[in-house]
Amino acid sequence: MEQKLRHEAKALFEHGRVDYIIGFEPGSLKFATTPLITRNKDDVERLVINPFIVNNLSLYLPRIEGRVGIVVKGCDSRSIVSLIQDNKVDRENVVIIAVPCQGLIDLNKIESLAGKDRDELEDITRHGDKVTVASDGAKKVFPATEVLFDKCLGCEFPTPQEYDVLLDEPATSFADKEASQKKLEELEKMTPEQRWQFWEKEFSRCIRCYACRNVCPVCFCERCFVEESEPQWVLPVPRWQDNLIFQIIRNIHVAGRCTDCGECERACPMGIPLRSLTRKMYELVGELFQYKAGTDKEAAPLLTAYEFDEANDFIR
Amino acid sequence: MSNSRKINKKDIGRLLSQWSQEFTVFVPSRENGIAMWAKWDGKDTSFLDWYRNTVVPAKACFLPSQEKMFSFQKQSAGYNVEPPSMNGQQRLLFGIRPCDARALALIDMTFKDTYEDPYYISKRNNTILVGLGCTNPCDSCFCVSLKISPSESNDVDLMLTDIGDQLCLEAVTDKGKRLMENAQGLEEVAKTDETKLVKAKEAPFWKVSRRINTENIKERLLSSFDDKEYWEKVAAKCVSCGVCTFLCPTCHCFDINDELTKKQGARFRSWDSCSFSTYTKMPMENPREEKWHRVRQKVCHKYEFYPMNFGAIACTGCGRCIRLCPVNWDITQVLSKLPAKV
Amino acid sequence: MKGMTDISRRKKFLAQGNVYLPHIAVIEKIIEETPTVRTLHFNFKDEKLRKEFTFESGQFAELSILGTGEATFCITSSPTRNGHLECAVNKVGKVTNALHRLGVGTEIGFRGPFGNSFPFDFMQGKNLVFVGGGIGLAPLRSVIWNVLDNRAQYKNIQLIYGARTPTDLCFKYDLDTWGKDKTVNMVTTVDRGDKDWTGRVGLVPHVLEQVAPSAQNAVAIVCGPPIMIRFTFPALAKLGFTPEQIVTTLEKRMKCGIGKCGRCNIGNIYVCRDGPVFTYAQIKNFISSEY
Repeated sequence: MEQKLRHEAKALFEHGRVDYIIGFEPGSLKFATTPLITRNKDDVERLVINPFIVNNLSLYLPRIEGRVGIVVKGCDSRSIVSLIQDNKVDRENVVIIAVPCQGLIDLNKIESLAGKDRDELEDITRHGDKVTVASDGAKKVFPATEVLFDKCLGCEFPTPQEYDVLLDEPATSFADKEASQKKLEELEKMTPEQRWQFWEKEFSRCIRCYACRNVCPVCFCERCFVEESEPQWVLPVPRWQDNLIFQIIRNIHVAGRCTDCGECERACPMGIPLRSLTRKMYELVGELFQYKAGTDKEAAPLLTAYEFDEANDFIR
Repeated sequence: MSNSRKINKKDIGRLLSQWSQEFTVFVPSRENGIAMWAKWDGKDTSFLDWYRNTVVPAKACFLPSQEKMFSFQKQSAGYNVEPPSMNGQQRLLFGIRPCDARALALIDMTFKDTYEDPYYISKRNNTILVGLGCTNPCDSCFCVSLKISPSESNDVDLMLTDIGDQLCLEAVTDKGKRLMENAQGLEEVAKTDETKLVKAKEAPFWKVSRRINTENIKERLLSSFDDKEYWEKVAAKCVSCGVCTFLCPTCHCFDINDELTKKQGARFRSWDSCSFSTYTKMPMENPREEKWHRVRQKVCHKYEFYPMNFGAIACTGCGRCIRLCPVNWDITQVLSKLPAKV
Repeated sequence: MKGMTDISRRKKFLAQGNVYLPHIAVIEKIIEETPTVRTLHFNFKDEKLRKEFTFESGQFAELSILGTGEATFCITSSPTRNGHLECAVNKVGKVTNALHRLGVGTEIGFRGPFGNSFPFDFMQGKNLVFVGGGIGLAPLRSVIWNVLDNRAQYKNIQLIYGARTPTDLCFKYDLDTWGKDKTVNMVTTVDRGDKDWTGRVGLVPHVLEQVAPSAQNAVAIVCGPPIMIRFTFPALAKLGFTPEQIVTTLEKRMKCGIGKCGRCNIGNIYVCRDGPVFTYAQIKNFISSEY
């Protein structure tokens, strides 16, 4: 896939079809990858595809001026569709280079299973539904289901549905919805008081770095509600109540746009299980409106479109 | 070496219990897998085997992410200001790494300059630091390039070095000396231990693989200050969140906000970041509206402006910013790409 | 540069030794200068502080409405005239909007005085050219009255002040007094007149070029919105003013006011701690890209 990607990206530059290529290149830490945003066609040789391409690169699209060739996995491509629906991205200006994704490897899970820091590991490779971890000359094999990100276990669209260039045969996922929502299932079993205590403890760790908001592709507001001072909706002080309110309102604002890409949870440095909230909102949107974000670029945005003869029996 | 003693790692629990009678003891501890500084639970000493530094640096014990500056009560047309109680709670931070300890010394320069910051200074005065040298630097560590060794002891009161199943203790300040003199469970240090100690202090230095050239960094940054093309490329993938700055042990910017509910109110300070787009926003204009201005500010403040004001680079090479950045933005890559010419 | 006194040697008026605790002051008088600017006259509740408090022209204070917030205001009264303190408030945000709703008798918080002062030593025996725009006259007002109260120490005084429209002119009562002062050359202008305006019309930098004050043994003291500053500095350079002869006072978003919270920096300079008064020479390295 990498060779094809580099070839396609170079061709896009040479034929003048794009001003930028946004993809992944090797990061500066072991196993890490990092976004590559470039105008230079020689840089395409640095593009990579591997089980660690975690970022949802569509977040850069609303703020970039020009035509972009962008590398996306299944979850990311749906964010692009959400953005197109909201008129933040012009379909004509994007060349979507689709990566059929077998799932991303969670280094935190590898670390706890292998009992070692990632710095001490030599190699991590995926073969079908097994993952081999090599360290100190020895190899350990784990089932892929134990080391992939939770979200990947239940992936509904591993291959982008909206694309211009497809880099490989469509991928299959484990489609294990239950496994992907393990934490959410645990919360559903709790009483409301227990859940409240749970979130109080989690949000006491929140430092309001806004990594969750800033890596979210559909949090594209020029001025976020937390930056308003008249009225001051939420104080910037990271008390757990303010933190919880921030996250809840953020979830409401992205409802119908959020595709459960899980970047918010991955980006959070304090290990707060944010996906339990976004996934719940995603499920609610599915139940109430029979709507899945990012699957139909012609559809009107869910909560901002209005039909005159819509049901309004919920208004009391 | 007659100032040093040693203690078995399995006896550390008892030592901390002894110290807990005089101090509130803080140690690195994990919550949901995230290592932070918290009050010692009285039992767990597994942190002695962790290689990686805490996610939240020790600065949070002195400049907390949120702090009440004072409270007040509203009365008809006026107020009654209630000054804060800065209780003299004596604290002991056990296991602080050299990079975090040096970072405190760097922040001291700002908080003592001209006007003393009473909240920070009182906490510093009431806290004794017991440092722990590193044995296995991570691939994100680059302390050595900032002239700090993984066994640096200058910035703590009592220094511990890991020599296998035991820790060597060395007093650095008078406070540390007194602490060691009364400590239980300490043994004399033998000749073989001294050899181990020397090796244990030297070895980690060579394990730090990430290096940057800080030669003339001030001048190199000054000469690149207006290079818009360079900084735009550097800033391209940054998402302007606060992870790097909040979790940096030397970053210390803060915001001040008031709150009033009915008749009771308070003024808080909380962490703020120059990476945020509204950080310098004024009613009529925002000098750092564009992302590359903000990214440039962050790098230059640490490597150019702080050295100009205080003679020291405001970075200790702890590597948290590299490790925790959601897009793996790497300051060492940025600095190494700077024009080499002055 | 001489005259920008080292602030570490300044008198500090700390409430209970804590630089972050506000003193309480009471509003004694309110003057509505323009539809968006009002001047507050206030005095400290504490008798001792009222008697002892001093400051220097150019310094600023952090005024607060406890519960709403704090904001930075230059002290517009001159230390040569005691009795009360004055600050001008421009209605632009949460705190200033709230300050515009206060009445006489209400209490506000006061922290200060912070920052450095205008270089009076350097200005001694020189010709002074004041150039102000809009609310930029506020910090200059303290200097102007200070200078006029010590008139013999200075040579010619040229004042050029302008605002967008006649209603936007601040301190109209002072403009009147200075206009009548024979020892002052007062030029007032507006960008756009109204049906009653009989005075000069023109942008401040243009009027400056027309008045063409000499740079010989002169100091230019400038304050106004960034757009005015951007054109005034080159105009002064054309008249022969060197960067060391141009003094200005800058405004930045501030919170602590004492060089700790980090946000007001321009390069390695903190506007609250090393300023807000600077010569153009001190800031010209960073000003084009950061300001």
